[in-house]
Amino acid sequence: MTAPAVPAPRSGLARPFLRLRVAGYAFFLPFLVAFLVTVVAPLAYAIYLSFFQDRMIGGTVFSGLANYARAIGDALFGAGLLRVALFLVVQVPIMLLIALGCALAIDSGRLRWPSLFRITIFMPYAVPAVVAALMWGYMYGDEFGLVGQIGDALGVALPDLLSRSWMLASIGNMVTWEFVGYNMIILYAALRAVPEELYEAAEMDGAGAIRIAWSIKLPALRPALLVATVFSIIGSFQLFNEPNILQTLAPAVITTSYTPNMYAYNLAFNGQQINYSAAVAVVLGLVTVVVAYAVQLLTARREKTL
Amino acid sequence: MTAVAAGRPGAHRSAKARRRRRSPALTVIMLVMFVYAVLPLFWLLANASKSGGDLFSTFGLWFGGDFHLFANIGDTLSYQDGIFLRWFGNTVLYSVVGAGGAALLATIGGYALAKYDFPGRRLLFAMVLGAISIPGTALAVPTYLLFSRVGIVDTPWAVLIPSLCSPFGLYLMRVYAADAVPDSILESARIDGAGEFRIFRTIALRLLAPGFVTVLLFALVATWNNYFLPLIVLNTPDWFPLTVGLNQWNAQANSGTSGAGDATYQLILTGSLLSIVPLIIAFLVLQRFWQSGLATGSVKQ
Amino acid sequence: MRTLPSRVVITGAAAALSLSLASCGGGSGGGASDAAPAAAAPSASAAVQDALTKPAELTFWTWVTGIEKTVARFEAKYPNIKVNVVNAGQSADQYTKLQTAIKAGSGAPDVAQVEYFALPQFALSKQVVNLADYGAGALKDKFAASAWAQVAINGGVYGIPQDTGPMAMFYRKDIFDKLKIEPPKTWAEFVEAAKKVKADNPDNFLTTVDPGDAGGVDSMIWQAGGTPFKTSGESNVSVSLATDPGVKQWVSTWSTLLGEKLVDPQPGWTDEWWKGMGSGKYAVWLTGAWAPNGIVNSIPKTRGKWAVAPMPQYDAAQPMNAENGGSSVAVIPQSKNIPAAVAFAEWLNSDPEAVKSLNEEAGLFPATKALLDDPAFRDAPLDFFGGQKINQVLSDASAAVRPGWQYLPFQVYANSVFKDTVGQAIDGGGDLNAALKAWQDRITAFGTEQGFTLSSGG
Repeated sequence: MTAPAVPAPRSGLARPFLRLRVAGYAFFLPFLVAFLVTVVAPLAYAIYLSFFQDRMIGGTVFSGLANYARAIGDALFGAGLLRVALFLVVQVPIMLLIALGCALAIDSGRLRWPSLFRITIFMPYAVPAVVAALMWGYMYGDEFGLVGQIGDALGVALPDLLSRSWMLASIGNMVTWEFVGYNMIILYAALRAVPEELYEAAEMDGAGAIRIAWSIKLPALRPALLVATVFSIIGSFQLFNEPNILQTLAPAVITTSYTPNMYAYNLAFNGQQINYSAAVAVVLGLVTVVVAYAVQLLTARREKTL
Repeated sequence: MTAVAAGRPGAHRSAKARRRRRSPALTVIMLVMFVYAVLPLFWLLANASKSGGDLFSTFGLWFGGDFHLFANIGDTLSYQDGIFLRWFGNTVLYSVVGAGGAALLATIGGYALAKYDFPGRRLLFAMVLGAISIPGTALAVPTYLLFSRVGIVDTPWAVLIPSLCSPFGLYLMRVYAADAVPDSILESARIDGAGEFRIFRTIALRLLAPGFVTVLLFALVATWNNYFLPLIVLNTPDWFPLTVGLNQWNAQANSGTSGAGDATYQLILTGSLLSIVPLIIAFLVLQRFWQSGLATGSVKQ
Repeated sequence: MRTLPSRVVITGAAAALSLSLASCGGGSGGGASDAAPAAAAPSASAAVQDALTKPAELTFWTWVTGIEKTVARFEAKYPNIKVNVVNAGQSADQYTKLQTAIKAGSGAPDVAQVEYFALPQFALSKQVVNLADYGAGALKDKFAASAWAQVAINGGVYGIPQDTGPMAMFYRKDIFDKLKIEPPKTWAEFVEAAKKVKADNPDNFLTTVDPGDAGGVDSMIWQAGGTPFKTSGESNVSVSLATDPGVKQWVSTWSTLLGEKLVDPQPGWTDEWWKGMGSGKYAVWLTGAWAPNGIVNSIPKTRGKWAVAPMPQYDAAQPMNAENGGSSVAVIPQSKNIPAAVAFAEWLNSDPEAVKSLNEEAGLFPATKALLDDPAFRDAPLDFFGGQKINQVLSDASAAVRPGWQYLPFQVYANSVFKDTVGQAIDGGGDLNAALKAWQDRITAFGTEQGFTLSSGG
């Protein structure tokens, strides 16, 4: 390395300390500006709007917390929240376990064609929603679709995956299909950051592949798993795309309030209730934050006790 | 020092991989995952290769009577005076600028959060996480109204600016930077008298490369598939990205109620197929950096 | 941050309507009064005629494919006016954009396509110009009564009819012939036909009913003589889905069809549905006159197998029909050149050359009497339909549309929650009456909250 651009201040502790702080802010500033402009400003505006009511007859009036009171007591909103909570509890662990398995398998070095698997499993994430709608419309079709045709071939009537009782599972399957590769990549990237000498040391100690995965890779993956979990929690509470896609195929099953996010969307877009929609979104956000934070706390505590 | 940097994966890793024994059982399990991931995509390929007449009259999971893919591609590219190519160009613009910018901002910001102890960083980070818990769908209308005030509705800026912010990327980079950039390297560079920006540029950035590539990949896919925001803030089809354009074709195909309702199903399927291809190429190109990006991360003392 | 510009402001500007204001683009929201100011109308319509010769640039939001050709004809005829055709999204997507742009105070087009069912909503909130103030009332006699009735709201004229969708029965002649079914003339015969189809093959159905398509059921109720939605004045709304006699008629027939599983509650426009339409699983599509395009384009292999008949009737002695779908073209108050916008909207939808082009080049089913009665239109045989002169059936269907139907001033919302309520019963085989009551409750709650006075009177 050539001569440093800035002479290193070696006079006392305070100056470098300050320098580090300033550098920290300076590095964070570009992101912060983008964040303020693109997220905070609209969010603040939405929160502002949530204190008003805009009626077709009578115009806009200040309504204080009325929209929030209504949201908390709203049965449609509550039912949607319960539905996504159930989805969260079942789908997220399954998806993350599969993603974890795939990441470990691809990283193990014992797999043939690892990069082929890496890209094909990730590929569904790149499929636009419009196409996903057409594709799953075919896959789930119980007459001319894949399910129907498998049923015909086997001579049995397979359940209608778009019916009330199967819908949440069908959505879970779509989400899993779409995001397994995504989570796998997060975990895989974390595995790439594990220092090689750890493996070498373990192998020298005679540790097998499973032992290495258990005692080196899994602990190394913990932060990445937490990232994946937190974002899956947020994703579950914001579940929107997949049910919105499937609602053209099963309009009566996927109601306008099937998930809280769909509810907020339909309030704003079909009912022109932008203000109430904003309140619903804020409440949904608060619930999400609380759950995501609780999960983080729990993980942190467990790490300490370990 | 050198040991830590050189000890990161890379060249070592691939040499090691060659030594390890292949496991057929593992490969078979992964082949099941392969089929699971690819089957719907195969449906897309098969149906994008069908003629209009075959689409709704032949078996779904196989090709139609004639192989029509190239004719369909021709139709897709020339439909409505070749607007598909225009949408394609827009998407490339939005993705490259948006995702590149987002990945860069997230990398620098994540590095700052992980490696600098400045007051308020925990609060800032919690704010970021909290803010993304609010669903974007509900923010769409407020965003439109704000953008309208600034006068950027129906311009590329309305799509580009929001895609510069990737809270997920920030989160990922913070976690990644915490492990990938050892404090000891930073400290010794400081003792050597390197400035903070120089340290970032010459040392940290290389160590962060795999994380950066991961964030870039996600941001690329996210902006490539960005649908909701462009749908709201753009009116003029000339500025549409592929997603909004394809959806418009889809709406057309499904609307007997207004107009000739061209047989656009083929165009949608073919267009979707075409729109996925660049992402796959990007992935193939970017994944080299996971393998080689770290090998160059050694630090000269 | 300021509050949103409320609609009150826009209405205030409208009250100041005058010729000078209008011609310099002051943003008329249309007169609040029921009738256009008598004195203003002739001079305003003169301004409209005048605008055709002056330079102007207009933006026109529409999702009709192929309409560029008709617009090009306008530009050729009036070279001073440039029209930018923009497809800003379809139906609800476009309405949201339009309403948001109007709220934001900029970004809205001069002219926009608005479906009939959504027009009262825009009219009531003064988000479209009352064209009666610009003399559009004079066009009334050019249009089919059923089309005009849908743009004449509260004594004003809020759009120019563009296309219509008189209902008809599209059926697979090959299947009917094979099963020896005559096209049913009454709903009773329709039920019998459904039983025959079912008896022949339990997997097949006479037709489908889409649990998500409120518009389809609205039209069926209209056709059954129902008028469940009524608006009087600006804020009094009556909803009688539980008591309206026409609704009861519809319920009696469709409860049987659904209860005995004689029709398939299959959502339309899906892969499964198109394949069913192509394979012969379904034999009938009850829908608007715009349907032929979809059939010809999506299932071309059924060429020669389809035919068209009038809708089945509840009382064959008093045939009644309804509209399904169709759009008008409205002018947005934000326009900087309202007279030119009005002139364009009028030409586009009433000039004989334009109307012919809309039909032949954009595939729209006409709204003007001239074209509906034109022998060249009526008597053209269509190969795809085995040479049947289907436009005769469809034109007559238009003439038979029952007057008096009204949409709610918030039909977009009402239709969106149809699937949450009535759709549940259609899909799951529940009680239609209870489901209609649930729909009524959702509509009533929304309307009340929006400041309307709701009643459930019959």
